[in-house]
Amino acid sequence: METKTHSIADIAAAAVLRVFGLVFSTVGRYREYLRNVDGWKDFSVGIVTEDGTVSQSIRFSDGKARVCSGVEDTDTRLIIQDTDVLRQLVSLPPNEVLTLILRNKMRISGNAFYMELFNLLISALMKKKQIAQMRAQVRERQQSGKALAEEEKLLPKRQAEYLSAPAADPGVHWLKDPYLPNYTLRDFPRLDRFLELHHTARPAVCLERAQLLTDFFRLEGFETRKDGTPWVPEERQGLAFRELMEKKKPLIRRDDLLAGTTTAKEIGVPLYPDGAGVMLWGELLTVHERMLNPYEPLSDDEIRALNEDIFPIWAHRNFREYVRDTYHEPLGQQLDERCAATFMWKTVALSHTVLDYPKLLRLGLQGIIAEIETELSAGCSEEKRRTLQAMIHCCEGVIAYARHLAETTEREAASEDDPARKRELEIIARAVSHSPEFPARSLEEAVQAIWIHWVGVHNENTNAGFSLGRMDQWLQPYFEADMGSLTTEAERECYLRHVLELIGCFYLRCQDHLPMIPDIGNYLFGGSSSDQAITLGGVTPDGGNAVNDMTYIFLKVTEMLNMRDPNVNARYHKDVNSDAYLKRLCEVNIHTTATPSIHSDTAVMAALEDHGYDPADIHNWAATGCVEPTLSGKHMGHTNCMMFNLVSPLEMAMNNGYHPLMRWQLGPRTGEAEDLKTFEDFLQAFFTQLDHQADLACEFNWQLGEAHAVLRPTPFMSTLIDGCISSGVDATKGGARYNSSGVACIGLADVVDSLLAVKSLVYERRLVGLEELFDAVRHDFQGREKLRQIILHEAPRFGSDNEEAAALANRVAAYIHECFRKHTNYRGGTYTTGFWSMSNHVAFGSLSGALPSGRHAYMPFTPGLTPEADASQSLLDNLKDVAKLDPHSLDNNIAFNVKVTPSPRDSHETAVDHLAAYVKAYAQLGGMQMQFNVVSSAVMKAALADPESYRDLMVRISGYNAYFTELNRDLQLELIRRADYQI
Amino acid sequence: MKTPLILDIKGNSLDDGHGIRTVIFLKGCSMRCCWCHNPESQAPEAELSVSPKDCIGCGDCRAVCPTGAASPGHVDREACQKCFRCAQVCPARAYRIMGQERAMEEIVERCLSDKAFYDASGGGVTLSGGEPALYPDWCAALAEQLRAKGIFVLLETAGNVPYDALSQMLPPLDAVYYDIKLMDPVLHRRYCGADNGRILDNFRKLRQDAAEGRVALLPRTPLIPGVTDTEENLAAIAEFYRENGVRRCELLPYNPTWTGKAAALGREVPYELQRHTTPQDGEKLRRCREIFLRAGIEC
Repeated sequence: METKTHSIADIAAAAVLRVFGLVFSTVGRYREYLRNVDGWKDFSVGIVTEDGTVSQSIRFSDGKARVCSGVEDTDTRLIIQDTDVLRQLVSLPPNEVLTLILRNKMRISGNAFYMELFNLLISALMKKKQIAQMRAQVRERQQSGKALAEEEKLLPKRQAEYLSAPAADPGVHWLKDPYLPNYTLRDFPRLDRFLELHHTARPAVCLERAQLLTDFFRLEGFETRKDGTPWVPEERQGLAFRELMEKKKPLIRRDDLLAGTTTAKEIGVPLYPDGAGVMLWGELLTVHERMLNPYEPLSDDEIRALNEDIFPIWAHRNFREYVRDTYHEPLGQQLDERCAATFMWKTVALSHTVLDYPKLLRLGLQGIIAEIETELSAGCSEEKRRTLQAMIHCCEGVIAYARHLAETTEREAASEDDPARKRELEIIARAVSHSPEFPARSLEEAVQAIWIHWVGVHNENTNAGFSLGRMDQWLQPYFEADMGSLTTEAERECYLRHVLELIGCFYLRCQDHLPMIPDIGNYLFGGSSSDQAITLGGVTPDGGNAVNDMTYIFLKVTEMLNMRDPNVNARYHKDVNSDAYLKRLCEVNIHTTATPSIHSDTAVMAALEDHGYDPADIHNWAATGCVEPTLSGKHMGHTNCMMFNLVSPLEMAMNNGYHPLMRWQLGPRTGEAEDLKTFEDFLQAFFTQLDHQADLACEFNWQLGEAHAVLRPTPFMSTLIDGCISSGVDATKGGARYNSSGVACIGLADVVDSLLAVKSLVYERRLVGLEELFDAVRHDFQGREKLRQIILHEAPRFGSDNEEAAALANRVAAYIHECFRKHTNYRGGTYTTGFWSMSNHVAFGSLSGALPSGRHAYMPFTPGLTPEADASQSLLDNLKDVAKLDPHSLDNNIAFNVKVTPSPRDSHETAVDHLAAYVKAYAQLGGMQMQFNVVSSAVMKAALADPESYRDLMVRISGYNAYFTELNRDLQLELIRRADYQI
Repeated sequence: MKTPLILDIKGNSLDDGHGIRTVIFLKGCSMRCCWCHNPESQAPEAELSVSPKDCIGCGDCRAVCPTGAASPGHVDREACQKCFRCAQVCPARAYRIMGQERAMEEIVERCLSDKAFYDASGGGVTLSGGEPALYPDWCAALAEQLRAKGIFVLLETAGNVPYDALSQMLPPLDAVYYDIKLMDPVLHRRYCGADNGRILDNFRKLRQDAAEGRVALLPRTPLIPGVTDTEENLAAIAEFYRENGVRRCELLPYNPTWTGKAAALGREVPYELQRHTTPQDGEKLRRCREIFLRAGIEC
């Protein structure tokens, strides 16, 4: 019987593959997909069930396909749980196939990108059916949104009111009312137009970067030079980058105040095939039809270029495949690719840092080149010499790009009929022909210099979490100098208006590029842009009050534009910054519903104090990506190297090292329920599993670090990170003055509540046996609702002003911190631990079973470091428990979400005062970070029903902002479920 | 000292005085206002509250009930002896005891834990009910302890107690919020179940106390549609304020959420309103406010 089943399924699979192969070998228009620019694709895909009932492979070479029994030596293998899942696979739309992967019903072993190529072939055959399925999903989503919204009666929208500043801060020299209440978006039609475009234009994949680099490496060689001699990778990248920037199309958006664009598209999705760009391979034919985050359709030429030229050359030359090939698909990588325990951002980028922009403004690129030349002339090793030369090549590339921009702008000025625009273009052309090549002489030049440099940064390295840093601090001197040179009040007023518009244009420029999100990412990271954090306020390097004119100008622009990115983070020092500043932060938060996120400076700086950093550098910290601290310009902290699921080790501790969803005896055997005699035994079992998972993740992170150093060192970025020039070592290799890797730990409150339930109900009060509890958890409390209710009402909860809960949370956080501190990254740096989750509390939650905390299987975890919604009726209890956490364990910061709705009875000022009081008291109590969503569940439900009217409804997920209507449904429901507090 | 049962201690209140406050609800009231927001606070003794929507149907209540009164999601009030065993075993807290003894030290500690928020917002603790002035010794003792820790204390009262009870509490109090509901004695008896003569007398005396700086006094009127929000009533109240030199008062828009609470206690809802004064009913509120503003009283 067994053999018969085997043979039927196996024979059927072989038959399907044979038909598939025949079509691609014989039908011309399908065979085209197997072509490369220089021949035919050569790759093989295996399909095998875990029980061995099916084991077949299809091998493509010379434009032909051949089907074989067995999967040995295939490039990539799809390993499917059983034949039932295999049957589902044939009929599901592509995004639901991804769900099968997420749910670990099947997994991929071997080259991930060839599997995408195989998906492309499937989609070539099934395009019509797939598109019909996708359109049906879009309709279904619209209908289910309406159903979920129920009968929501909406409160009339408040008329926006604006406060006036109660008092000025000492650093504010020019703004008479720093709250700038008299300006609104209506005063800036240009910004209004760009904003409309931002909300309506569909992003388009841009091949420019990928194509130019591919051309370069095809000509010059990648592993070795064309003549066979080895490259120093920095040198190779430097030359390639120079050519890329020289050949890059110099563009200025119609009517824009800033020249230069990240891509050649209006809203572009740049491709980083050296990172994860090749993930798009399987979606080339359908990406415009997908339900979430669709892009513009790719043209036939673009599809051909990607399929035949670009992707084939990069399918092996990317971070993931480098590690797979070099370290034989290590366990940490296998774990990562199962999606349920870790997500390694280093497979995408080694970014998440803040560059030394004051240096760029001070020296200009020529000045930086001069500094490098001085270093070179001092005599150095061959490798250092080549590394430094690579840095020079990079600067030259960006200088060339800026010159091309100047030429374009001059040309456009010459042919411009509108005299006002003509004058603008002339001013821009003058600025660009000077900066970033030479030191900035005005605010105009400073902003332009940073923008062009930013374009360069994103053409060298993936657009993931690069952050702009303390823009208010760095631009203030230029603002003051400009203001000081004006003589009349009218001139100053006119200049201020121009500055608001210029900074507004800068914000909108920052949204000219979006990360390439393969469809699976829409379920993991819904609605995220590249998270370019700007940091405002706080203290100066010498500890003084840093709030200045530009702080308030940035806040005004943030308020007017109400955009998800740049991700605005405000530092608030309780002993130094004014109440007026704090109130303004809260007012902007109320107006924008989601930004800025607010950090208590004393807690963040305390968290950084045991790393041996210079105190002045600590004072100069800036938020990176979401919330994480980087010591501006001196620190390669890759603050989001990985997202780490804390619940997964807990599940393994409950199952003697076995992970139920992954069906994998991954962890060490830490004991069955009967072996865990005391709570300490259970806690240690959790810690042991945690150590093991962290070991695997850190090992993989180290290997990925090496992959970056080999495949994509970043000499351009290195020029603006202190230490890289003087050491002649690239930032990917540890050249920075400070090195670290930041981890985002997810599900702390879920773990702590679960541990508390076990401790209290099993070991202390003996209301339930451990095995009985585990059994109920395994069955998702089916038929055990009474036990679940006892847990919900009797067990202590983190976030209920409970000393025991806070103490255990501190103990667990401290253990996690120490657990990662034991590891060293590839760059020789340490690890920092943060507790924020982007949107992975939903993704990881959907891949985790029920918990002893009473949480049902597959439900989201708590976002970031936020107590569970029912922990207390009083928001203050949440605030107090989070504030009790020792900052030293939170050195990669936290994201604490608070959802509030101003009472319709209160005035705008009262609502602002209430919000400010929460922040102030939380900071006094030692809290680190908090972020308010000032929006009610009722409004979110209305947005489900009518997404068109709410496309600018911004929400803070966990660290980053997104537009609510673009999120996947799970994430939308999680936001609605969050506790609603009226203020 | 007469010690009250505590109905609830609610942190993070923004509606019961200035800033962020903790409100202590005491049980027992000398009035029976038919729109009472906190019907569970009227009786001084403990009561049983049943919320059928929270019930999971486990039947534990039935198993422990000595008289057979309790069953999942429903209690037979006639047969119930108020032993509260059902509430003690109910895993889902569908059965709950309204009113519990709480040690004063525990209450002080609980209030103190929110002190950072009082300080940041100018808030503090509010004694509410029920009628806290039914327990003047206890309230004064608690207020003194809180005051000693630097916490501002506010009393909410309907004033239907002997003046001495109010007077003896004043020293540790920062403010008194005093309800003036209906001026017509007949209507007052009908809707509030008590005479208003003593209430108005006490208010006159407290005005004197306030004038002499012993306490801050804020009179408040709940706007109950068709009952207190009539032109005649509000004009009479305004006149009364004017006579007593009141410069500022507060009008409380009607909040209908109490009917659900009454139902959980097995109370008949004596006063069903089809039409609610909600915060959105701006025109209505404006007209009410106008009456006071015309009399030179801020509200």
